[in-house]
Amino acid sequence: MSAVIPRHRVNVLTGIKSARLTEDPAEYANLIKKAKRPLLVVGPLLLASTADGKILMEYALDIAKACNIPICATAQTKGKIVELGVQPDCVYDAVEIVNALKDPDWQGVKKEGNHDLVMFFGIRSDLGNQVLSTLKHFAPHLKTMTLCKYYFPHASYSLPNFKKDAKWQEFLESLIDNLKKGD
Amino acid sequence: MVVEGKKLSKKLEEIHEKIKAEIPWEPVGPTPMPEIPDLRQWDMRLLKTYAPFYAPFCDLCCFCTYGKCDLTQGRRGACGIDIATQQARFVLLACLIGCSAHAAHGGHILEFLIEKHGPDKKIDLGTFIELEAPNIRTVVGLKPETLGDLQIALEYVFKEIAHLLDSCHTGQEGSALDYESKALHASMLDHVGMEIADIAQIVGFDFPTSVADTPLVDMGWGAIDKSKPVILLAGHNPATSTVVIDYLREHNLEDQVEVGGLCCTALETTRYSNRAKIVGPLSRALFFMRAGIADVIMTDEQCIRTDTPQEAAKVGSAVIACLDKAMYGLEDATELDTDEIVRRMVDNKEQFAILDSPKAAEVAVRVAMEIAPQRKKGWLVEEEAIELAKKCTNCGMCEQVCPNLFSIGDGITEVAKGNFDLIRQQFLQCIGCGKCEQECPNNVPIFKIMQTAASMETWKCRAGRGPVMDTEIRNVGAPITLGTIPGIIALVGCSNYPNIDDVADMVDEFARRKYIVVLTGCAAMVAGMKKDKDGLTVYEKYPPNFDAGGVINIGSCVSNAHISGAAIKIANIFAALPLRGNYEVMADYVLNRVGACGVAWGAMSQKAASIGTGFNRLGVPVVLGPHSSKYRRLYLSRKEEDDWKVMDARKREIVDTVEPAPEHLAYVCETKEKAMPMIAKLCIRRNDTPQGRAIKLNHYISLYKKYIGAGLPEDIHLFVRRDADIPLVYKKEVRAHLQEIGWQPREPIGLPTLIGTYPTKVPVDAVIH
Repeated sequence: MSAVIPRHRVNVLTGIKSARLTEDPAEYANLIKKAKRPLLVVGPLLLASTADGKILMEYALDIAKACNIPICATAQTKGKIVELGVQPDCVYDAVEIVNALKDPDWQGVKKEGNHDLVMFFGIRSDLGNQVLSTLKHFAPHLKTMTLCKYYFPHASYSLPNFKKDAKWQEFLESLIDNLKKGD
Repeated sequence: MVVEGKKLSKKLEEIHEKIKAEIPWEPVGPTPMPEIPDLRQWDMRLLKTYAPFYAPFCDLCCFCTYGKCDLTQGRRGACGIDIATQQARFVLLACLIGCSAHAAHGGHILEFLIEKHGPDKKIDLGTFIELEAPNIRTVVGLKPETLGDLQIALEYVFKEIAHLLDSCHTGQEGSALDYESKALHASMLDHVGMEIADIAQIVGFDFPTSVADTPLVDMGWGAIDKSKPVILLAGHNPATSTVVIDYLREHNLEDQVEVGGLCCTALETTRYSNRAKIVGPLSRALFFMRAGIADVIMTDEQCIRTDTPQEAAKVGSAVIACLDKAMYGLEDATELDTDEIVRRMVDNKEQFAILDSPKAAEVAVRVAMEIAPQRKKGWLVEEEAIELAKKCTNCGMCEQVCPNLFSIGDGITEVAKGNFDLIRQQFLQCIGCGKCEQECPNNVPIFKIMQTAASMETWKCRAGRGPVMDTEIRNVGAPITLGTIPGIIALVGCSNYPNIDDVADMVDEFARRKYIVVLTGCAAMVAGMKKDKDGLTVYEKYPPNFDAGGVINIGSCVSNAHISGAAIKIANIFAALPLRGNYEVMADYVLNRVGACGVAWGAMSQKAASIGTGFNRLGVPVVLGPHSSKYRRLYLSRKEEDDWKVMDARKREIVDTVEPAPEHLAYVCETKEKAMPMIAKLCIRRNDTPQGRAIKLNHYISLYKKYIGAGLPEDIHLFVRRDADIPLVYKKEVRAHLQEIGWQPREPIGLPTLIGTYPTKVPVDAVIH
C-alpha cells in the first residue's frame, strides 16, 4: 500500500499496486518525451478557470502542443477545444477510449500503433481512478500518467495532492517549459 | 406427456405442469422457466458485441480464508481466480442481492395479501390491461390468474437464486463470461420478481391501474405540516404504510396526523392515499431525520439507513422497525401488549421491532400523537448557522470523504461570512451520506447548517400508475418500431447523482422532443423537484400518457418490471410474436426494433445493478452516471471494429450492417452534457424506417450541437444508410461531411435479427410476424 492517501479517499482508497508519485516537472517532462506514442485524454474539469481567469484546458493544449501529442476529447470538451483553436485528434468518452487502449492491437489515434503513455487530465477523480484501474489491470502494454491536482493510485505516475491550486499551476507551467526545452 | 408429437423429458413435464401448459392461451416456447444454461447462448451472442469492460474497485480478493489474494499483474488467487472473473463474480453477487431484495419483497407482500384476501384473489388490472404479466408470461411461461399463481412464479425465482448464489462459492466458476451470463440470468429473474411484487400490490392494495391521469401529490419537506404529529415511512414495502393509512382512516385521524414517505415507500403510499406526502429520495433521508420533524419513523426494507435508530434517538424521534430484514438489534415487541409498547416508547423513549403491521400502525399513530405536542421542531435560522459555521477551519477533511467531491469546507466558510449561495448549491448536489460531518475534527454540524440552505419549496409528483396499458401499446407500437416516435427513455434508479437537477433536465429535454419518458423510484421523485420559469414541474408540464411527449411515473422500484413489460408488450401485442417461454425472441425483437434507452443517472444500489442488467438481457441499453463506474463492469462495444452482422430474416442472409445500433449496453457518462446525445443515439435501431431514422438523427445531431458543440458527431456516417436517412435541417452539412469521408450508401435491413447468427434452438421463422 502506498504511503500516499488519495485526496478523495472514499472513492479510491484501495489496492496494493500504487502509482509512482512525483512532483518534479523535469522528471514528468522526461517521461513524456521518452514516450514514442503518447496520448493526452482531457476531461470536463478542464472547462473551469483558475483564480486568475485562465481556462485549465489551455494548460492541456500547451502540453500537447509542446510535444505534438494527440488529444482525445472526452465528455463535452470538444467544443471548448475547438473554440480555443485546436482540433482534437479524436472524440471518445473516458470509458470508450480506455476500452480501445486496453487492446494491445488497437492502432491508436493516429493509426500508428497503440499508445505507450496515456496522460489523463481533467476527469473527475472517482471515474478517473476507475478507468486507470482498468488500464493498470488489463493494459500492461502501456503506462498511465495523471496531471490533475490529486493523487491517483491506479496510475503508473501521479502528482501528489496539491493543497494549493497555485502550486499545481506552478507545476503545470514548469512542465510546459520543460517540454518546450527539447531534449 | 406428449406435446406436438414429441415426448417431453421428465423435467419439462414438471415445468409444463407448474405453468399449466394445458391452458392453451399460447403454445409453450423453447425456454419456459429457463435455468442457467438455457439462455446462455443468447448471452454469449450479446457479450460478443458488448464485451464486459472491467474497472476493478480493488486489487484483491478477500472472499475466503486462502486470501487476501493479490490479483494484480496477471496473478491468480489461491483458488485460481483471475481479476476479470473476480469482478464478474462480484457483479453477479450484486445482481443477486438486488434480485433477492425485490423477490423477497414480493414474497412478503404475497404472504401478507394471501393472508388478507386468500390465494384465489383474482388478478385484474383493469379494463385496458389484458396482458397483465409480460415478464412472468415470457420467462416463466405462466399466465397468472390469481395471487396463488404468483407464488408459482416466485418459487421458480427463489430456486434459480439458490443455484446462482451457489456458483459464487470459492473455487467454482472460472469464466468471467459465464459469470456475466449468470448475472444476466439473475437480473432477468429480478424483473420477474418485481412484476410479482407490483401486480400483488396493485391487486391487493387497490393501487391505480388502467389509468394514466393519477393524482399529483405534494413533495418536499416543506409539504409536511410539522404542527401535526408526523409519521415518516422509510423504505419500499407498502405492507406497513397502507396499514397506517387504514388505521388513520378507520379512526378518522387522517386530518390530524401527517404521513410522509422517503424513497419508494413514499411512492407506494401515494399510490394508496393522495393525502400522503413525499419527503424526497434517499439522498434526503439523513437530512430529514436530523431535522427532527418526524415524531415516529417506521422502517421497512431495502434502502433504509442502518443508523436510523441512532439518528432518531439524537433528535427524539421514536422508531419502529417493521420488517425482519432490518431489526437493528431492537427488542421484538410483536407479541407484547400494544398499550405496554406505547407506554414504554413514550415514557422510556424505547425503540422496538414490531413485525405485525396492524399493531405497528396503531403504535405509531398513538405514539406520534402523544409525543408530538412535547417535542420542539425548530428550524435553524441563518444567524445560528453563521455562528456554528465559524468553528470551521476549512481543513479539507470533509472534502476528502465526500463521494460527490465537493469542497464543503468552502461552503461552510462562506456561511460563516454570511454568504449562503455556495452551501445552497452544495445542498442541491448532496447525496446525503453524512460522511463529511463524521470526519470534521471540529464537530461542525454540517447537516444542521445545510438546513438553512434546504428549500422549503414544495413540488408536485404524479402518483405511480403501474403498467402501461395495452391500448397505449397498440397506439405507439408502430411509431416506436418504425422510429417516428424517436424512443422510450426510462429514467430509473437511486439518488446518487452528480447533480440532482440533471434528471429533471433530461426529462424536459426528451419530453419536449416527443420521446416517451417513463420514470420510477427516486428518479421519479427528483424529476419533479425542479420548476420551470412558469413554476411548473415536468409532471404538470407534460401529459401523463404513454405516448409521444408523455412523462409517466410508473411507480416504485418494483414497477420497473412494467417498463421491461412494455417493451415485451410491443413485441407481443403490436408485432403479434408469441411470448410464452419465448425469451430469446422477445429480447431479440427489443434489441433490434424497440428504440428504448434506460438512464440510471444516480444508480447506487445492488437493486439498480440487477434492474439495469435485466434490461440489458432484454436488449435495452442503459446509460449510467459517473458514480456507477464503481459497479466495476460495463458492457461496451467498439463501434468501428465489432461485429454488427445480423440475419435479414426475410432474405435469410447474414448482412454486415456496419451500424452500431445500439452502440453499448451498459455505459457510464461523466456529465449530463455527454449523456444527452448518447441517450438519443442509443435509441437508434436497425429496424428504423428512413423517416424514423431521420427523426432520430435529427435529435442526435441537434443534442450533440447543443451540448458538445463544434460540428457533427464523429460517428454520424455509421448511422446514415441512405440519403433519405439524413434529417432535412442538416442535409447540406451531413452530405458534405459524408462526401468528404467517402461514405457509401447501403440498404436498410428488412427484418433484422440476431437469431440465426449464433447457435440457438430458436428458428429464424420464429421472429417473422
